Amino acid sequence: MRKTKKTLKNTQALVLLLAVLLCVNSVFAQKSPKDKFIFPPLNPIKMPTIEKVELANGLKLFLVEDHEYPTIDIRAMVHTGSVFELPSKIGLASITGQVLRTGGTTTMTGDEIDKELETMAASIETSIGRVSGMITVSILKEDVDRVLEILADILMNPAFREDKIKLAKVLENTAISRRNDDIGQIAFREFEKLIYGKDSPYSNQPEYATVDAITRQDIVDFYNTFFYPDNTIVAVWGDFNSKEMESKIKTHLGKWEQAQVSIPQAAEVAYEYKYTVNFINKPDVNQSHILIGHIGGLRKNPDFPALSVMNRILSFDRMFNKIRTDEGLAYSVWGSYGANYQVPGVFSSGAQTKSESTVYAIELMLKEMKRITKEEVSDDELAKAKEQDLNSYVFNFDSRSKIVNRLMTYDFFGYPMNFMEKVKEGVEKVTKADVLRVAKKYLHPDKVQILVVGKKEDFDKPLSSLGTVNVMDISIPPPPKKE
Amino acid sequence: MHVKKRIYYKLAFFLIIISICGLSLLAQTFESIKSQVKVHTLKNGMKFIVLERHDAPVVSFHVYADVGSANESYGITGISHLLEHMAFKGTEIVGTKDFKEEAQALKELDALYEQIKIEKAKPEPDAEKIKAMEEKFEILRKKAKEYVVTNEYFNMTMREGDRGVNAYTNFDATQYINSLPSNKLEFWMAMTSDRFLNPIFREFYKERDVVMEERRLGLETRPMGRLIEDFLATTFKAHPYHHHVIGHMSDLQSITRKDVEEYFKTFYGPSNLTAGIVGDVKAEEVFKLAEEYFGRIPSGPKPEQIRTREPEQWGERRVTVSTISQPVIIVGYHRPGVRHNDNAALEALANIIGQGRSSRLYRVLVIEKKVAVLTVGLTGFPGQKFPHLIAIYAVPSRGHTSAECLELINEEIEKIKKESVTPDELIKFKRNAIKSIMNQMKSNASMARLLTYAEVVLGGIDDAFDRVKEIEAVTADDVKRVAEKYLVKKNRTIGEIIPEK
Repeated sequence: MRKTKKTLKNTQALVLLLAVLLCVNSVFAQKSPKDKFIFPPLNPIKMPTIEKVELANGLKLFLVEDHEYPTIDIRAMVHTGSVFELPSKIGLASITGQVLRTGGTTTMTGDEIDKELETMAASIETSIGRVSGMITVSILKEDVDRVLEILADILMNPAFREDKIKLAKVLENTAISRRNDDIGQIAFREFEKLIYGKDSPYSNQPEYATVDAITRQDIVDFYNTFFYPDNTIVAVWGDFNSKEMESKIKTHLGKWEQAQVSIPQAAEVAYEYKYTVNFINKPDVNQSHILIGHIGGLRKNPDFPALSVMNRILSFDRMFNKIRTDEGLAYSVWGSYGANYQVPGVFSSGAQTKSESTVYAIELMLKEMKRITKEEVSDDELAKAKEQDLNSYVFNFDSRSKIVNRLMTYDFFGYPMNFMEKVKEGVEKVTKADVLRVAKKYLHPDKVQILVVGKKEDFDKPLSSLGTVNVMDISIPPPPKKE
Repeated sequence: MHVKKRIYYKLAFFLIIISICGLSLLAQTFESIKSQVKVHTLKNGMKFIVLERHDAPVVSFHVYADVGSANESYGITGISHLLEHMAFKGTEIVGTKDFKEEAQALKELDALYEQIKIEKAKPEPDAEKIKAMEEKFEILRKKAKEYVVTNEYFNMTMREGDRGVNAYTNFDATQYINSLPSNKLEFWMAMTSDRFLNPIFREFYKERDVVMEERRLGLETRPMGRLIEDFLATTFKAHPYHHHVIGHMSDLQSITRKDVEEYFKTFYGPSNLTAGIVGDVKAEEVFKLAEEYFGRIPSGPKPEQIRTREPEQWGERRVTVSTISQPVIIVGYHRPGVRHNDNAALEALANIIGQGRSSRLYRVLVIEKKVAVLTVGLTGFPGQKFPHLIAIYAVPSRGHTSAECLELINEEIEKIKKESVTPDELIKFKRNAIKSIMNQMKSNASMARLLTYAEVVLGGIDDAFDRVKEIEAVTADDVKRVAEKYLVKKNRTIGEIIPEK
């Protein structure tokens, strides 16, 4: 390893020498890319005024004016999610999210809404994911009143018509029937199950039987449990005056009745670190999809800044350089400790490589994982990772929609409004010792779960050379028999 | 140096559609942007388009090389995209510890590769000899690698805060993008002019392997990838849209470093490059630096235009891909390139037939009959510059077939040829078209892309004006007329994924 450092020093010396030589020899005024640039000071970041308002019914608003184009955008988040589904009704959240919009309102059918919105080049879309519901609205300014009226109608008076429930089930069942078509989709889905557990609400998947079991009443109940103004946060940005927009929203959504819902606590993730080797057979491919990892953590972890520096080094300087550039083994490759806002993320490393280099690639990936937990990164790697982060920090402020959506997300998950600034301060202070410390603390290369989806006949070595192989069955359970 | 200000006609054309739709606010917005776009052409032919935008201290760069997979011929398919990968490998300055030594090592390596190639091409190749040469090749490759500073281009630009460094290649073009804090304009000038002045395609043989993995990932392991490749090969029998951007595996296995150098010489002359720069910079400053840095690149001849044209089709074609997957169907009809007079009406047709929940196919196939879960009408596929396709694809719902979908697609196509589209449908098309263009103008990066596209693909001033008039004039009759003209059986190809157990 000392050798590596020496080589790097030599590199730096050469680079410096080269730069000097080029400088002297340069006939033109142009700089060589390696010359020292003295950058003029960066123009200051102009922070827009963000209005934060709470209506009497508890609906929270973040408003920011942006007059460059005559458009208005809205994004709202609702505390809900598929984590709250019953195991016998998996798919309920997704279907509720869909039919909320497509099923129309008490005064308009979904088809009428489709036509009116599309003719205005406007859109309102609703969906429910793992731990939140999402509403996105896009409007040409001149249509704002009408679109807000329709939006309020959808949120307050959804009709959940049977024909659109039927359609949503067709879409859901078709997705089930197609879920094993694409190797990447299989890999990510099944890996999630390995990490969170087969029956965990964080990795559950709908089946024909669970979709079939969902009734209109279930959908109405699910909606009634979560969709209240005091359970929702709204971000609005675009060409308006904030005071006027606030009063428009008050007009349309002020009547939405609050309910002081108490959101049940989502299940804890109980993770047990273990080394496993898992395989899914896909006989008609010539490339393996490899995922390796274990549970990750939360963003509010005080070690998050050090972990994000480590991620850059592990993903780019290590995995990308080694697996892709030096060895030519994969197009995409990474290694990263995932941290989410609310539910622990996943530490994963992944690559797709030709069947014939499957085990070799896995060995190299494991080696890089181990290396970062064993020895300090180089000065250059650390400096690079920090500079990448800090020098591009300004891009967090290059659009108002980015700023307002970030603040809404922090508020939604109960993070401090200055969270990003705090992370930045943390990154500035990260040392090589910190990177090693967090790598040792949070990465467990000896207790990773390995998943390979591919064609085993063509592998360079049997997977069993890595350990006892658990063959995973991904066949789709047939639909329940109709009586 | 003379800086020419000129009206930006691509933007002017928006004004006219907008007036149709009564969106006077949009008109004002575009009017003000239009007057701010500045264009400057260097003596060597390279064009710079600048839009100042001082909201945030950042700037986005977009270099549009007017070369894509359509410029390739047999034997070198995939080379445009491979070259794009190689353009990240550095120059005589970036990416090397000692260029002189490295150049010698690369020369030896290439010479040996040629010898291996010759031996392998013999009727009875000498296996022993090949093995020995390949072993030596690996030694030489490692020797050359010792001079390399791995991924130095990426490292240098990302270290300065580049949040958008990337590139992509399609059938028509190869595009290189960066986004930097705006005080680093000169750094970009130095890096990028060097990149196109003295590129060194080092680590070539390993990068070729990476591209082969990309082919496996995107095309070979994905049912849709397989379908698209075979569908295009069937639809275009003569024109080079015939082969996918990624290239044939056998070509990827045999393209040489020298091939890539030749290709670069042919297609990366400054007159074939256009840069779009949008952000917190001063146009005068950009043009001054462009003269200094990019002015160094020697001018060369414009590459020859593609000769081959797709002949008229003699009958409906069909292609199937059998794979372990659920069915998908795609139907494509030949249409002329984007600068043809029928373009606007064809875009309207694709929108009315297949874009959005209120489109005709979605209403019938998904909502009413529930035989499909997704229907899409699109044009500009697989490229736009040359005659291409207006296409429809449908994803059958569980228990339904592509045949059922096709029957209903046929019915809807006949209907649109017989009955006029409604005024609401036309308004929907026009407003959504404008909005989507406007959305592309919202970020610096997408605006820079849009400006270069308008300049290169939509072409000169007069052509752009003709396009304006076309769009302004789209009527229900036009949509009917182009439907009758292009959506005919003899002019189409049907591609299907056939499920295999």
